[in-house]
Amino acid sequence: MARKSRKYGEDVPFSLTSMMDMMTIILVFMIKNIDAEGQLVTQAENLILPVSTSKVQAKEVSLTVIVDKGFVVIDNAKIVPTEDVLNNEMEVDKYPLAKIDSVLKERRTAEQEHALKMGLPADEAGNIIVQIDKNIPYDAMYKVMAVCGYSGYTNIAFAVLMKNGGEE
Amino acid sequence: MAKEIKKPARPEEPDLLPAMGLFTILIPMLLSMTAFQKLAIVEINMPERSMITMDNETPPPDEQALNLSLAIAKSETLGDYLVIGARGGFQPNVYFKEMWTFRCKKDAQLITHDPEKVIADAAAGHGPKCKDGSEMDAEKYLYEIETIELWAIDKQSEEDPGRVMWAIYTSQGENVPDSVYVDGNNSFIAMPGEGPMGLTPPPALKKPSPGVALATLSPNSARTLKPDVANSNIIYPLSAYDVIAKDLIAIHTQFIDLEDVDNIIIVADDNTQFDKIISLMDRSKDAGFVKVNLAKLGG
Repeated sequence: MARKSRKYGEDVPFSLTSMMDMMTIILVFMIKNIDAEGQLVTQAENLILPVSTSKVQAKEVSLTVIVDKGFVVIDNAKIVPTEDVLNNEMEVDKYPLAKIDSVLKERRTAEQEHALKMGLPADEAGNIIVQIDKNIPYDAMYKVMAVCGYSGYTNIAFAVLMKNGGEE
Repeated sequence: MAKEIKKPARPEEPDLLPAMGLFTILIPMLLSMTAFQKLAIVEINMPERSMITMDNETPPPDEQALNLSLAIAKSETLGDYLVIGARGGFQPNVYFKEMWTFRCKKDAQLITHDPEKVIADAAAGHGPKCKDGSEMDAEKYLYEIETIELWAIDKQSEEDPGRVMWAIYTSQGENVPDSVYVDGNNSFIAMPGEGPMGLTPPPALKKPSPGVALATLSPNSARTLKPDVANSNIIYPLSAYDVIAKDLIAIHTQFIDLEDVDNIIIVADDNTQFDKIISLMDRSKDAGFVKVNLAKLGG
């Protein structure tokens, strides 16, 4: 029997059904992971945050202090090397803590002036979020935390990664 | 003329192009709003400003207060341990061996190493080894640590190096422990391991069969094991965090009427990694101690 030759010139309609299936799966996955409230805190580069069971989310935008292996960073500006914080005593009036303190006090004063202009109470405790690399020693964390408190930021919160990406 | 048999009409495919166009717009929009790793915050309590002036006399210590503290310490003779203190006394030390679990970038597999060996190898220019035999970057291996585990150690005396305790855990795959099981007496189903340091799981410790009633440390978690859950359970070294969590839950329940029952002070030495502090804060908050203060050991 003669074999039927394939007609290459014939127009084959392009089936979009399989493409639709793929798109539907992607769409469902995206909707599952959507964060409609948005993120008020974004993870800094060059550090790995610890994983926690906490599900508490930041309620407002706050000043962020980052402590990674290299530097203590406030509002994306490198203030002092983390090594210096570790190698010096816990004295808020001397380098390096004094430098962190002066930057934080400057920010706190600006926040208070802004609050007064807006007619809000200015004497409330300042909010600050501290992002610390999970391998940073407690000594550095404790010193930075103490300076934050000394500068008027007494509502301190640590940024962490939600366990299992926040899923139950 | 013979009547031509009419072929059944092929169902016409719906026009999917408009739907595809909609999807193409929706997907990039949702992609920009998707969070694959969600961030949370852990709040701490700073000491409140006191209204007492320096002229006032220091108030006498409240003997009815719990004054709970949780310390993570290291001693040259005793090794690493966690200890709970309350009302001037201390519970028995919970000794542990620290282990680092890495996720290798090359094979995406988890592997657990002794930190002392990892640090010694890194000093010699070798990164921790992966399961496929390859080495991680000797300078950046710290960034590949997935979890810092504290394996509880059973010690018979202060001189005893101790043996790793093994327990039954729930697992969601990859041999990663999730929640530890306790029996009807609220005791861990655990045994010390065999071989040097008890690093080999004890053969006598068997995974519970389906139908057995067990619970985890979470409230109202008592359950009868279903076959699929029983099969997914694993035998894994008992975490010192879980031992502490069980004690903290018991303390919170026992002293629920006290005024400072929600307060805890976590005490650590200078070299303790931040990850351990967060893990202890998590266990404290889960046990009901929501007001966490931090302090330095001997400082």
